[in-house]
Amino acid sequence: MATLLDGRLWLITLTALLVLVGVNAALQPNFLEPSVLQSNLTTFLPLVLVAIGQTYVVLAGDIDLSVGAVVALVNVTTVSVIAALGGDSQSVLAGLAAGIGVGIACGLVNGFFVAVLRFQPIVTTFATSIVFAGLALRILPDAGLPVPEAYWRGYAGGLFGVPTVVLVLAAALVTIAVVGRRPFFTRLRAVGGQRTAAFQTGLSVGRLRIAAYVLSAVFAALASLCLTGETASGDPLMGQTLALSSISAVVLGGTALAGGVGGPFGSLLGALVLGMIGNVIFFAGLPFEYQTLVQGLIVLAALAGGVLVARR
Amino acid sequence: MKAAFLAAGLALAALTGANAQETFTIGLSNGWVGSEWRTQMIEEAEAAAKAWADKGVTVNVVVQSSNVDVQGQIGHVRNFINQGVDAIIINPNSPTAFDPIFAQAKAKGILVVSTDAEVSSKDAIYVGIDQKGWAMKSAEWLAKTLDGKGSIVTINGVAGHPANQMRVEGYQEVFKGHPDIKILNEANANWDQAQGQQTTQTLLATYPDVNGIWVQDGMAAGAWRAIMSAGKTKDIVATGEIRKDFLDLWSKEGLTSGASVNPPGVMASALNVAVHRLMGKEFKDDVFGGVYGNAIYIPIPFVSNENLAENLKAAEGKPGYWSVTAQVSIDEAAAFFK
Repeated sequence: MATLLDGRLWLITLTALLVLVGVNAALQPNFLEPSVLQSNLTTFLPLVLVAIGQTYVVLAGDIDLSVGAVVALVNVTTVSVIAALGGDSQSVLAGLAAGIGVGIACGLVNGFFVAVLRFQPIVTTFATSIVFAGLALRILPDAGLPVPEAYWRGYAGGLFGVPTVVLVLAAALVTIAVVGRRPFFTRLRAVGGQRTAAFQTGLSVGRLRIAAYVLSAVFAALASLCLTGETASGDPLMGQTLALSSISAVVLGGTALAGGVGGPFGSLLGALVLGMIGNVIFFAGLPFEYQTLVQGLIVLAALAGGVLVARR
Repeated sequence: MKAAFLAAGLALAALTGANAQETFTIGLSNGWVGSEWRTQMIEEAEAAAKAWADKGVTVNVVVQSSNVDVQGQIGHVRNFINQGVDAIIINPNSPTAFDPIFAQAKAKGILVVSTDAEVSSKDAIYVGIDQKGWAMKSAEWLAKTLDGKGSIVTINGVAGHPANQMRVEGYQEVFKGHPDIKILNEANANWDQAQGQQTTQTLLATYPDVNGIWVQDGMAAGAWRAIMSAGKTKDIVATGEIRKDFLDLWSKEGLTSGASVNPPGVMASALNVAVHRLMGKEFKDDVFGGVYGNAIYIPIPFVSNENLAENLKAAEGKPGYWSVTAQVSIDEAAAFFK
C-alpha cells in the first residue's frame, strides 16, 4: 500500500471523489446526464483552476492568500476594459488580455515581496490581497457592468459540439502535463523540499518562487475570466472564499503545505471533491442548520483519511 | 368501479381548477450564514410554507444555506434547476451576477424570486423592502429628533455591497434636505457589532461634539455600547436595531433611538407571493417598481420610543437574537394579483 501510494497521494483523493460521485448519483438520479455534468463542472471549474495555480506556490514551500482578490481585480478590470472600448468582439479580446495582464502583474508583485525582499509569504499575500481587493473596489465601486452577450453565451456554449468548460478543463490538464515535464517543476519541488540545499546546488531559488507566484496568479486570472463568463458582470467582492478553499483543495489533493511533495493533478481532484461535498449535502436533504457543520466535518474527515492512510 | 371512481375524481379535480395541482416544491437559497437574522428568515419561510396547508396547498421547501461566494450560490441555483423545483427564492450575494443562471432557470419554467437584495435580472422578480427607503426612514427620524440641526457621523456596512450602497444614497438624500445637519464622517464597519463599537469609540474621540449617529443594523448595539461607556447616553441620539436584546437595553437605559425594520419575514413574504404566482395567477400591471423595474416593495415598520413598549410585548419570551418581524400574509400577497 505504502509503495503504491508513494508520491501518489492523489489516488486517495480519486477514491474519495469516486465515492462522492457514487453517492451523488444515488441521491440525484439525473446526475450523470451530460447537461447536469456540464452544469456541475461549470460550478467547480473556477476553484479547480485556482487550486492548480496554488499548488505551484505551495510546492515551493510558500502560500498565496491573494488569489481570491486577484480574481476580483481581474474581473473588474476585464469588464471595465470591455465597457470602455464599446463592447464589440475586439474589445472582448482586449478585456481578456487586460485581465491576464493584471494577473501576471499581481503574481510579480507577490513574488517580488516574498522572493526578493524575503517577506513572510502568509502575511505578505494577506496584505497584497487587501491591496488588490481595494484596487478592485476603486475600479468598480458597485457590482454591475454587464459583459456582451457573446461572452457569456460563448462560455455557456461550446466549440464543435464540445462544451467550453470541458475545453478549458482539457487545456488546464495539458498545461499541468507540460509544466510537469519541464525541469522547472523538479526544481520547484527541490526549492520547497530543501530550500538551502536547492540554493547551494546553484538553483536560482528567487526566480523559481517568483515564477510560481506568477503561475498561481495567471490561473486565478483564468478562473476569473470563467467566472465572468458565468456571471456576465463585474463584482468587486467576487471570489472571497477562493483563497482558503484552494488551499484546502491543494492539501486534499496530497500536496504537503511544507512544500516539495505533491502536484497539481491532486489539487484538481481535491477541488472536485470539495465541490461534490457541497452537492451531496444538498441532495441528502439535510436541515439547513446542519449543512455548514456537516460540510466542515466531511472536509475534515477527508483530510484525516488521507493523512492516516499515507502514514501506514 | 374503480375506474369510474377515478374518472369522477379527475372530473372533480378539473372542475375545481386551481385546486387541481396543488403541490409545489420551492428552493430557498441563502448565501451568508453570519447572523441569526438569516436563520430566522429561513425558519419563518419554512413556517409560511407549512401554513399553506390550511389553504389546501402543499408547499415543500428545500433549503441551501452556507457561506458561499457568488459562484457557490450559482451552484445552489444549478442544484435547484437540476432537481426540478417549481420556484427558487434567493437572498442573493450579488445584484448582477445571476443574470445568466436566472435566464436558464426561467427557460426551464422555474419562477425566480429574489428577496432582501434586488437583482438586475429580467427573468426574476424582487419581493422585499426598498433598502433606500429603509435608510431614509431612519435618517428622517434622526433629522427630526435633532430638530434639523447638529453634527452627525454615519457608520455603514460593507463598501461595494449593493444594499449598503442604496442605504448610503438614501440617508445622503435625506440629510441634503437638512442644510443645518453636518455629516462629519462616513465610516464602514462591515455590519459587524464589534467593529461598530470600535469605530464609534474612534469617532467619539475624534469628534467630541457630535450630536447624532446614523448607524446600520446590528452595528447599532455596538455603537450604543460605545456611547454608554463614554457617558454620553443623554447627549447623543442614534439609530437603533431590532433585536430583542437591544430593545431590552433601549428600554432599560432610556435611550433615544429609532430603528427601521428590515423584517426577517421577507423570505416568507416572497414565498407567499411565489405560491400565488405558481397557482397560475397573473400580477397586476402596476405592482413592479424599483431600479430594475422588477421589484415589489413591502412595508417597512419603524420602532421608536413611542411604540417601543408594544414591540417589547410582541418579543416577550423570544430569545435575545430574535428580530422584530413582519410578513406579507397569504391574503395580503393576493392583493398583488389580478
